[in-house]
Amino acid sequence: MDSTMNSTFVLCFLLFSTYLSYGVASSSSATTTMHTNNWAVLVCTSRFWFNYRHMANTLSLYRTVKRLGIPDERIILMLADDMACNTRNKYPAQVFNNENHRLNLYGDNVEVDYRGYEVTVENFLRVLTGRHETAVPRSKRLLSDEGSHILLYMTGHGGDEFLKFQDSEELQSHDLADAVKQMKEKRRFKELLIMVDTCQAATLFSQLQSPGVLTIGSSMKGENSYSHHLDADVGVSVIDRFTFYTLAFFERVNMYDNASLGSLFSSYNPNTLMSTAYYRTDLYPRRLEEVPVTNFFGSVMEMIHTDSAYKAFAGKDSKKSTLEMPLRQSSQDLRRTLASSDVQYPTSDTNVEDPQDSCPFTNFWISMHDKMNKVEGLDSWVNYGLFFMFPMVAMSSWISS
Amino acid sequence: MADAEPAKAKPRPIIRLGLFLISHSFIVSVACCAAGVFALLLLPVLAKNTYISENALMPGSASPMLSNDDVSRARMFVNKVVSFDFKTDSSSIGIQDLVAQHITDLGGEVNFHKFLPQANKFNPLHFFSSPDQGIAQENYTYSSYGINTVGFIRAPRGDGKEAIVLVTPYNSVKTSMGEALSLGIAHSIFSLLTRVTWLAKDIIWLAADSQHGEYAAVAAWLREYHTPSFDGSGRSLFESNASPTTGRKRPNDFLRAGTMAAALVIKVTDGSEIAERDVLNLYAEASNGQMPNLDLINVVNYLAVNGQRLRVKVEKLGSLLDSWWLRSLAELFHKLGTVARSLNPQWNFGISVAEYIEGTATLASSLYNQALGVPTGPHGVFRDYQVDAITMEISAKRVANYKNRPNELLLQGGRLVEGVIRSVNNLLEKFHQSFFLYLLTSPNKFVSVGVYMIPFALLVAPLPMVAASLFADSTRRISGMETKVASSPASSDIPAISFRSWRWLHAAKTVFIVHFWGAIVTLLPHFLSLVQDSPPLTNLLSWIILSAFTLLILQAILGSSLSLLHMNRTQVMEWTLLKSVTIAAACTGLCIMSVINFATAELGALMLVPMCLMARPLMLDAKAKTLKSFIRAACNVVLIFLVFPPVAYYLWKGALVGLDNARVGDFWNWVESLWTWNSATYIYMCMVHLPCWVLCVHTLVYPC
Repeated sequence: MDSTMNSTFVLCFLLFSTYLSYGVASSSSATTTMHTNNWAVLVCTSRFWFNYRHMANTLSLYRTVKRLGIPDERIILMLADDMACNTRNKYPAQVFNNENHRLNLYGDNVEVDYRGYEVTVENFLRVLTGRHETAVPRSKRLLSDEGSHILLYMTGHGGDEFLKFQDSEELQSHDLADAVKQMKEKRRFKELLIMVDTCQAATLFSQLQSPGVLTIGSSMKGENSYSHHLDADVGVSVIDRFTFYTLAFFERVNMYDNASLGSLFSSYNPNTLMSTAYYRTDLYPRRLEEVPVTNFFGSVMEMIHTDSAYKAFAGKDSKKSTLEMPLRQSSQDLRRTLASSDVQYPTSDTNVEDPQDSCPFTNFWISMHDKMNKVEGLDSWVNYGLFFMFPMVAMSSWISS
Repeated sequence: MADAEPAKAKPRPIIRLGLFLISHSFIVSVACCAAGVFALLLLPVLAKNTYISENALMPGSASPMLSNDDVSRARMFVNKVVSFDFKTDSSSIGIQDLVAQHITDLGGEVNFHKFLPQANKFNPLHFFSSPDQGIAQENYTYSSYGINTVGFIRAPRGDGKEAIVLVTPYNSVKTSMGEALSLGIAHSIFSLLTRVTWLAKDIIWLAADSQHGEYAAVAAWLREYHTPSFDGSGRSLFESNASPTTGRKRPNDFLRAGTMAAALVIKVTDGSEIAERDVLNLYAEASNGQMPNLDLINVVNYLAVNGQRLRVKVEKLGSLLDSWWLRSLAELFHKLGTVARSLNPQWNFGISVAEYIEGTATLASSLYNQALGVPTGPHGVFRDYQVDAITMEISAKRVANYKNRPNELLLQGGRLVEGVIRSVNNLLEKFHQSFFLYLLTSPNKFVSVGVYMIPFALLVAPLPMVAASLFADSTRRISGMETKVASSPASSDIPAISFRSWRWLHAAKTVFIVHFWGAIVTLLPHFLSLVQDSPPLTNLLSWIILSAFTLLILQAILGSSLSLLHMNRTQVMEWTLLKSVTIAAACTGLCIMSVINFATAELGALMLVPMCLMARPLMLDAKAKTLKSFIRAACNVVLIFLVFPPVAYYLWKGALVGLDNARVGDFWNWVESLWTWNSATYIYMCMVHLPCWVLCVHTLVYPC
């Protein structure tokens, strides 16, 4: 009979632990809908000195997203060539994106993850899909999850439905679409912004099908993307027009601003760009006017005030919670409230449940907590409990012996 | 019979077309030749604007850095060179030391390259081989050594695998003002480039000692650079590590700096006073019509025109500029262009009269220089080592008043060269993007190989057709003759048929013998030059006599068919076969030559094709006694006379330069220059042109 009791006890324990693990699992799947982190993949695909501007483009954007709060470990920077150390560079170890030379883009805190001949189509696709060889260090991986907003910026020489990598291979629009699809299936992102500054950039997006993807390219099919200006001192063009005006927009933005993607996209003037910036929104569920640029170009997390520490697991609840406003509040911030990013996607496999049922373990714990609070003299309860432990241990060891 | 009709299959369309062309070969050949000449005249209209094809070059994207400091330093150097007293320096090698001292002061490495002038000798066995390491002759005195001064700047962060060469030829015995200025330009560049951080390729400054000729000096240095010569003990032949005057030891002997990406030859000459702007003359033709990559010319042209406001010129034939026929032709093309534009505004091939004349004169000069196969300057040597090179001759009116405004010329020339160097410095590979086969019609217009092949193809196209037609004709006639002969004795039927089809072998044998004789004629001058040292006229005469003599000997030994006495009746019609094989041989020769040197083949075809097509025994025409036959015979005689190589030479010379002081011996000198420069034109002349001429003469005097 003792043994029966013992086995029942063990069974109970097992059941309890299964229940607990189920609760944890279900609570984590519920967070898919919430924007929790930001990643940026910045790619310069072209080699050679005369493509200086592509590296400057990428480094400028690197600097911008870092300034807006994406930490270095969440930025994958791929540079196909090293202009700073090119022998033709008049300013060794420096890269400029403006002829006034005020800003050295290649300062001390630049972490290049993939450089030179490492920047290949294969490595690029591996980064996106996360299918690395085991030896690849964490710093070179895109460790995003289903709460990630990813900015994918690419610059180089493109054509109709392709982007040239190095001088030898190319990424086709099919490859990109396939990689994004895989990412979606592996829940590697929540939202993805693809920004491409190449000739005929818009053609690169034609095959994309995955929801949650927003794309913008510097030029339409049949158009070229031009460089902005030539630095007669260095002897090369230092930045492309599209990137230049993107940066000009971001120079006016700081971490706490609420400029929307819509205002960024409408800031591109085809006359100054000498090409038509094209953006594709049919895969993207939110209205661009409601999305702050920092959702992609920065890493500003929403502060959610919750009733209890564990309630945060329940993603659905956050809808009702109000946002912690940043320091510099303004009337525009109301937009931010609307812009809460937990939208359900058809591919998301979480079931829409009643908030109360969404997490049994949490509910159980909450009720336990409430009961505990009602009990007076919690400390004495604990002390008695501890004393009670000794006979329990003694008895169980006597039974099992 | 009814069954046999459908069994005979209808030949395929291509064969029927061929047969059609062959049967109408007369009209087709006249049309093709006319079209060929017309297309050649049309080339200036079809010329395209040049464009910079290589992305990496980016000429003019960097602002020039050459400062007045560099220029004033260079001016002091020029003054020193000009005032250098050659009299006091007995060994006449002091000026090299002056140059070397300045290079060292600027921070470059320097070494001397001592060389012996190499007599240009025609060596038939080494014709197409790469430049060999010459054999130094023993009997040279010390003073006849040329000494090149070579300065090096190592790229501060470069890998030392590539280099850009600057060449400034100057006469170390008597340096002229222009040469001193070209040295000054190179000095200013050198002074700048020792300080800059952006060099990816090393810079070599070759101050070539041109007392034995510019070409020889550069050639000697390049030969040593690429194929170091060693004597038995393994040491370099030229002990160049000691300064010539002081005997001071230099740390290195012959210095090198990687593959040459490009070479610029800088010259300054006294320009005419009338030009309002300074003129930059470009010379690009290397041996055997090879040209540097068009991108190099484009870069220089772009920087000179847009950066330094120079007027860029390429050589043109002055005699064509005011010829009445060219002017009327230009007006015709202009009218055609306007008519075409009025019909359809899209057709925009109109060309102004002046533009057409200039274009034709430049094209003719380009064609002539390429056909000659003699390089137009020291840049030609570089092409032999697959280095793109160009001579930039700044023809400045300021050389005269250099005293007044000295800095201007140095600054302008220096900035131009700096721009070109910076552009070439950006290159990642050697020049390969743009054209190598082209003709220039102006510094910024060119005719590419795809277009200029058309006139040649049109000229050569009738040759195989006429050959086939003549062959078919003669076999038909002979078979007709033999059926008559063979109808009575039935026994000789079989051998007659078998011999009939091989009859062309007689003609082929004759053609082969004459071409073999051509090869012997090619080699004769070599032996002549070995034997004696006589005036050109004597040489020319002995060459002609010897050649004729050899032809007679060969005929006696090998060819009974050449002798006109042993003709039987069946051979009467063989002149058509002979002409057919001659034409086939000429066609082969021209086509092979077009691969080696297109311009030679083009000009050669202009002369050979009409002669070969017209050739017809005079006896036949004499028998006919009609006006037509008389005109034909006269045309034949005139053509044969005109195409005889010496006559053709004097005609070309008269047309292009003028026959003011022409002498008979000039032809020998011209031929001599061709073989000393290893020009394939010489081979063409002796082995294709001359045999064809002899065979046509043979056809003309054929007894009928």
